[in-house]
Amino acid sequence: MRRLALLAVPVMLAGAGCTGTSGAGGQDIQVTSRDDACEVSTAQASSGSLTFSVKNSGTKPTEFYLLADDGQRIVGEVEDIGPGLTRDLVVDAAPGDYLTSCKPGMTGDGIRAEFTVTG
Amino acid sequence: MFGNFLIGLREGLEAAIVVSIIVGYAVRTGRRELLPRIWAGVGLAIGLSVTLGAILTFGSRGLSFQAQEAIGGILSILAVALVTTMILWMAANARTLRHRLHNEVDVATDRGGLALVLMAFLAVAREGLETALFLWSAVQAAGGGWAPVIGAAAGLAVAVGIGRLLYAGTLRMNLSTFFTWTGAALILVAAGVLAYGVHDLQEAGLLPGLDNLAFDVSSVLVPGGVLATLIKGTLNLSPTMTWLEVTVWTVYVATVGFFFHRTLRRANGREPAQVPAAVGGHR
Repeated sequence: MRRLALLAVPVMLAGAGCTGTSGAGGQDIQVTSRDDACEVSTAQASSGSLTFSVKNSGTKPTEFYLLADDGQRIVGEVEDIGPGLTRDLVVDAAPGDYLTSCKPGMTGDGIRAEFTVTG
Repeated sequence: MFGNFLIGLREGLEAAIVVSIIVGYAVRTGRRELLPRIWAGVGLAIGLSVTLGAILTFGSRGLSFQAQEAIGGILSILAVALVTTMILWMAANARTLRHRLHNEVDVATDRGGLALVLMAFLAVAREGLETALFLWSAVQAAGGGWAPVIGAAAGLAVAVGIGRLLYAGTLRMNLSTFFTWTGAALILVAAGVLAYGVHDLQEAGLLPGLDNLAFDVSSVLVPGGVLATLIKGTLNLSPTMTWLEVTVWTVYVATVGFFFHRTLRRANGREPAQVPAAVGGHR
């Protein structure tokens, strides 16, 4: 009984992980976050699984967001990208207009740019 | 390097505090036999997080944002539920301890023991995957220098050291002080986890009001700075919080604090005629 219950959580964890993983063949987008700039390798992608590889080339920890075009709703985010690190954000994106945002120093609205996902 | 150190410290602090309290609790209530299982729970959580983190970092498949939020959210809610149970046990224990023989004290029956093990597991697993992903990304960056890995690992090590010191401190307290202070600490930790869970759900768009801020002191309390890191790591409070987060936090602290205080006051006050069956368990 004890063992069973203890196993339940890891199994649940693994289950949640599998349903959320993206298939191969997704698109990779490179993002470089600096203290005063946010460079996204492309401003356009086709719908499906997108992987944003966010490299922090600045001196402060940073965050990266993919926002809906209202600038409020978060489609995806990756936090705690320490200086020198690269972290991935994987999102399933439907066609539409979005905003990308780097947040060096983890405060404020971030450095934003428009991003389009085509059908 | 310092930025990564602070992230590591923040990720590790909360788990270190909760585990040190759980271990202290088991030792102080004479249930040392639970320790191997508690450490197994901690080890299992670390092993799973590190493995899953490595698969996601180095494999061809990444975990989607939605799945990551779901895992974090579910584990947070479970952790809060378990910690709340523990807080109320502690108060009840403080009460029975005064009037019963030591070996009769174990309010924590077998089910209670399992809850302690699960709680240790969850305390580590909750932030475990996120921490493992952060650590592995530091390892991945090692080609560009070892500073990020060293910083992150040192931050985690300091968190564990703080947990160790806390444990040593709790051993010196007398029992009723131990229950009062660790109980109060757990109430604040759980309230923070709950508020942060609400924040996650707001970010995921499942709850409204993400831009409805109660306060924003990020100009004074710089996010990612030393003080903000310590507050975030221990209490899970951010320089920027929404009204919904603040409301949930306040309601939790008030409600659980009330029951905790009431149970303790009764313990310190009149002689209880009988230990309630639900709490004591008859042997």
